Amino acid sequence: MHAALLTLGFGIVTASILALSAVAFTLQYGVTNVANVSHGEILTIGAYAAYLVHQRTGSAPAAALAAALAGGLTALAMYSSVIGPFIHFGASPTVIFIATLGLSFVIQNVLVIIFGASNVAYNLDPGAPQQIGPFLLNPLDQQIVISAIAITVVLFFIISRTKFGKALRAVSQNRELARVTGINATRVAAATFFLAGLIAGYAGFVLAETVGSFTPYFGFGFFLITLTAAVAGGLGRAFGTMAGAVIVGIVLEVVPALPVPFVGGYISASYNLAIAFGILALVILFRPRGLFTNARRTVFE
Amino acid sequence: MSAYLVSVLTEGAIFGIMALGLNVIWGWSGDFDLAYYGYIAVGAYMTLVLTIGAPIAPAQYILGATLPYPLAVVIAVISAMAVALVVGSIALGHLRGIYFSIVTLGAVYVMYVFAGQFVPLFDGYNGLSGLFDPMGDWFGLDYFSYQYFLMGLCLVMFALVYFLMSRVSSSRFGMALRTLREDERAAAAFGRDIYRLKLKGYLLGAALGGFAGALFAAYLTAFNTSAWSPIEVIVLYSAVLVGGRGNIRGVALGVLIMGLIVNESTRFLPSLPGVGAFNTDHPQVLLAARGAIIGLVLVLFLRFRPQGLLPERRFVDRQPAQPATDVAPLTA
Repeated sequence: MHAALLTLGFGIVTASILALSAVAFTLQYGVTNVANVSHGEILTIGAYAAYLVHQRTGSAPAAALAAALAGGLTALAMYSSVIGPFIHFGASPTVIFIATLGLSFVIQNVLVIIFGASNVAYNLDPGAPQQIGPFLLNPLDQQIVISAIAITVVLFFIISRTKFGKALRAVSQNRELARVTGINATRVAAATFFLAGLIAGYAGFVLAETVGSFTPYFGFGFFLITLTAAVAGGLGRAFGTMAGAVIVGIVLEVVPALPVPFVGGYISASYNLAIAFGILALVILFRPRGLFTNARRTVFE
Repeated sequence: MSAYLVSVLTEGAIFGIMALGLNVIWGWSGDFDLAYYGYIAVGAYMTLVLTIGAPIAPAQYILGATLPYPLAVVIAVISAMAVALVVGSIALGHLRGIYFSIVTLGAVYVMYVFAGQFVPLFDGYNGLSGLFDPMGDWFGLDYFSYQYFLMGLCLVMFALVYFLMSRVSSSRFGMALRTLREDERAAAAFGRDIYRLKLKGYLLGAALGGFAGALFAAYLTAFNTSAWSPIEVIVLYSAVLVGGRGNIRGVALGVLIMGLIVNESTRFLPSLPGVGAFNTDHPQVLLAARGAIIGLVLVLFLRFRPQGLLPERRFVDRQPAQPATDVAPLTA
C-alpha cells in the first residue's frame, strides 16, 4: 500500500508537468482549430533558455522566468510565421498539421546545429524528500506541483474573468462570429499563443530539471504524451485537458509499477510512449471527443 | 564511376521506391500517414532476421534463418503488409484528417519503442547486422564488383516499380483512389466501398515501403534504431510534395531534387560560431543542416506551391454542360 502511494506521488508530479504542457497545447488548438505539432519544441527551447540563464546567473527563478519568456516568444513566432499565414491563406487543418511537423523538424535540427545533439545534464539539488500526507516528495517536486496548481488558478481566472478571456472563448467557439462582433481574432490568437508559450516554456524548464537532462529531441518525445493527454481530455477544452493530463500522468507512473497479469515481472518504464499511445488509440476510437463529454459541447466547458 | 556516385545512385533508387509507395498513400489516397517509415523498418528488419542466421549469444532475435535473399524479401514485404493491415484497419475505419495522422504517429512510435526496447524481437538497440553481399555468391562477384551489382539491382527495381505505378496511376484503381482524396462522399455515392479501397491503397503503399526496406537492408548490411527514426518520413514527404503530389513523374523529380539537397546542399556550408560552451564543430552539424533545409523546403512548398513542380494532371470534363431544353417551364 505504501509503495503504491509513493508511486501515486510521482504520478502527481508527472501529471502536473503534463497538465501544463497539455493545457498550453489545447489553448493553441482552441483559438486556431489546428494542432501545433511543433508544440514540443517550445518546451525544448524553454529548457535550453533555462539552462543558459541558470548557468550565467545561478538563480532558479531567473531560469524559470527565462524559460517562460523564451517559450512565449517561440510560440508567438510560430503563430506569426507559419500557423497564422497558413490560416489566412485558407489551408486545411491537415496541411497546417504537416507544416507544423515540418517546422518542428526545422527547429530540432537548428537546435542540433547550435547546441549539438548530445545530452545536456541539468541537475539541480532536489533536496531531501519529505513526507507530505501519504506521499514522499522532495522540495523540487513540491514546487512543481504547487506552481502547476497556481498557474491553473491564474489561467482559470484569465479565461473566465477577464475581457481577454472572454475574447479567447469567443474565438475558440466561432472565429467568424467573433470577428463579426468586432473581436480581432488574429490578435486574440497571437496573444493566446504567447500565453500558451509562457506556460509551455515553463513546463519545459520543470520537465528538464525533473528528468535531469535534455537534448534537442526532448520536447518532441514529451509532445507525443501531451497529445494523448489533450485528446483524452478533449481537444480545445482547457480544463478537460487538465483532467486528461492528470489521468494520463498517473497511469504512466502507475502502470510500470504494477506486476504484469499472468506473466509476472514489470513493464519497463521505457514503454511509456507505447502505453500512452495505447491510451490515445483507445480514446480516439471510442471517445473521439474526449473522456469527459458524451455530446457536442462548447469549448472550455 | 566513383564510389560516391555508386552509393548516391543506390540510395536514390531505394529512396525513389519509398517515395513512390508513399505517393500511393498520400498522393492518391490522400492520407497523411506517419507510420510509413515503420513499414520500411519492418521490411529491413525482417529481411535481416531471415538471412543472417541464428543469433550468437548475447545477441537475440526472432527466426534467425538463412533463406536465400529473394525469398526473404518476399516474406519481408508480406510482413510489412501484415503490420500495415493491423494499423490500417484500425486507423482507416472512421478516422480522417489529423486524427488519422495522430493514430499513425502513435502506431509508428509503438513500433519504434518495441524495436528498441523489446530485446528478443530484433535485439533492441543493438539491432541486426551481418547481411553481406546477398546473391553475390550466385554470380561469383567479389566485394568491389558487388557494389555495382547492387546499384544495378536497385535501379532496375526502381524502374520496375516506376513502370508498375505508372500503370496503376491510370488504372481504374488509381482513379478510384483519387476520388477518395477529392471527395469521399461523392465516391461513396457512386458505390465505392471507401474503407476497402483505402485499405487496398494503404497495403500497396506499405508493400512498396517494405520492399524498399528490404533493399535498404542489403545496402546497409545492418539495421538498428539509430538507423531510422519515425520522423524521417518528412524527407519522403518533402520529395513527394516538391515533385508533385499524385504525379509519379513529379515524385521521381522530387526524389532527384531531395537527393541533390541531401548530398550536395551542405558542401558550401560556412562554419558557424558556437554558443557559449557549445561547440558546433561536431559531426551532426552537416546532418542537422540538411534536416533543417528539408523541413524548410517542406513548409515553403506547402505555403507557396502545394501542387509541386510537376503538378498532377487534373481530369476535367471537356464537354460543356448542355443547356436543359426539355424541362417543363416553371409555373407559379
